[in-house]
Amino acid sequence: MIKHHPETKLLQSFSAGELPVSLSAAISIHVEMCPVCQQRCEEFTEQKAEQYFESAHVDDLAEPIQIDSNLLAMIDNITDDPTQAHVVEPTLNSVAVKGDEYQLPRALRSMSVGRFAGIGKVSRARIDLDEGEIHTSLLQIQPGGMIPEHTHKGFELTLLLDGEFSDDMGTYYPGDFIWLDGRHQHNPKTEQGCLCLTVVSDALHFTQGFGKLLNPFGSLLY
Amino acid sequence: MTQAGTILLQNQKSGLHNKVMTNDNNHQQLAAWLADVANNRDKAAFTGLFRFFAPKIQRIAHQQFSNESQASEVVQETMSNVWRKAHLYSPEKGAPTTWVYTIMRNVSFDMLRKMKSRKEDNFSEDIWPLVEADNVETEVYPDHLQQNQILAYLDKLPENQKQVVKGFYFLEMSQEQLARHLNLPLGTVKSRLRLALGKLKQQLTEQDMGERDD
Repeated sequence: MIKHHPETKLLQSFSAGELPVSLSAAISIHVEMCPVCQQRCEEFTEQKAEQYFESAHVDDLAEPIQIDSNLLAMIDNITDDPTQAHVVEPTLNSVAVKGDEYQLPRALRSMSVGRFAGIGKVSRARIDLDEGEIHTSLLQIQPGGMIPEHTHKGFELTLLLDGEFSDDMGTYYPGDFIWLDGRHQHNPKTEQGCLCLTVVSDALHFTQGFGKLLNPFGSLLY
Repeated sequence: MTQAGTILLQNQKSGLHNKVMTNDNNHQQLAAWLADVANNRDKAAFTGLFRFFAPKIQRIAHQQFSNESQASEVVQETMSNVWRKAHLYSPEKGAPTTWVYTIMRNVSFDMLRKMKSRKEDNFSEDIWPLVEADNVETEVYPDHLQQNQILAYLDKLPENQKQVVKGFYFLEMSQEQLARHLNLPLGTVKSRLRLALGKLKQQLTEQDMGERDD
């Protein structure tokens, strides 16, 4: 049962196509698994469409339908193409790490996933999206693994794709959308192991123990 | 001026005098044009759609990209998707305006992405699939004659396979939705679909050979 959802503002920006690819993909995966957020996104999309194409405001702005010759030429150009787009079933990608194989959700199917590398029970594969300081990765934690207590300067989004993990705020299940920022500190651990999609905007800041000393861990997770 | 265009112009002119929104009428007209484009590749119907949407898209894109040529690219891309994907629109799923909006949003999203990164990738259709759980690729669709033949053959299929093919291709339900809807295991839906498509393909090939023999 999904308990953690993107906040309203994120769903609105997602529906309007205003978020980076990384976050859009994460929300798309959540929405596909969560009928409640799916419904809300449909409503936001309808509202946006009405605002753009149907509001009285739009009609006021409209000059008595002026279409310049460039636009008219476009009609011929477009209708010259007799083909129709054909519906095919998408092929999904899967990734293997330490003997476990996972099928990736549709939203990630065209993305290039790097090789898994890790420390101990934690493995990470970078998803190369070229979004500057926003880093996107797949994170796999083996059963019994954990991540040292840390906080964030920016934001850290974790979308649980498979398995479970828990921290002092509770246990998470597939589809849970966990958004943390500098106000939070946590120390996630997993009993059965898990695969997550993470989107992180800045290096993690380890607050205690060996994580504080172990720099490679920080760069592994960012 | 096409008949459709004339009707639209009249609608819009009277709309200026009469501020009561005629959204429902608009939706009906737009949906009818989409159906004409889908079924008959009707250029006049497309012109009607174009006259309704293109200036609005141009204005929105101009605000977003602050660049005339990029705004035109959004119009071109969006409207050519409308032309090529009209058969994927179904009125049960929502207003035609919402459908065209999602196409425009996807086009803009991919374009912004191209401007911001070195990558030439299009993720929008994976993120917001136009057909749930399916994707749309740029493949050439069989011509109309062949499509009509397929419809004829479809009727000869066993009822349980026909159901699945119709749901998948004509109602654009995903295999998962079909499985739920028909109360069947997903595997059964998949294998019926595979069987049915195999038969259709076979019949089409036989037909081709038959013509050659004549």
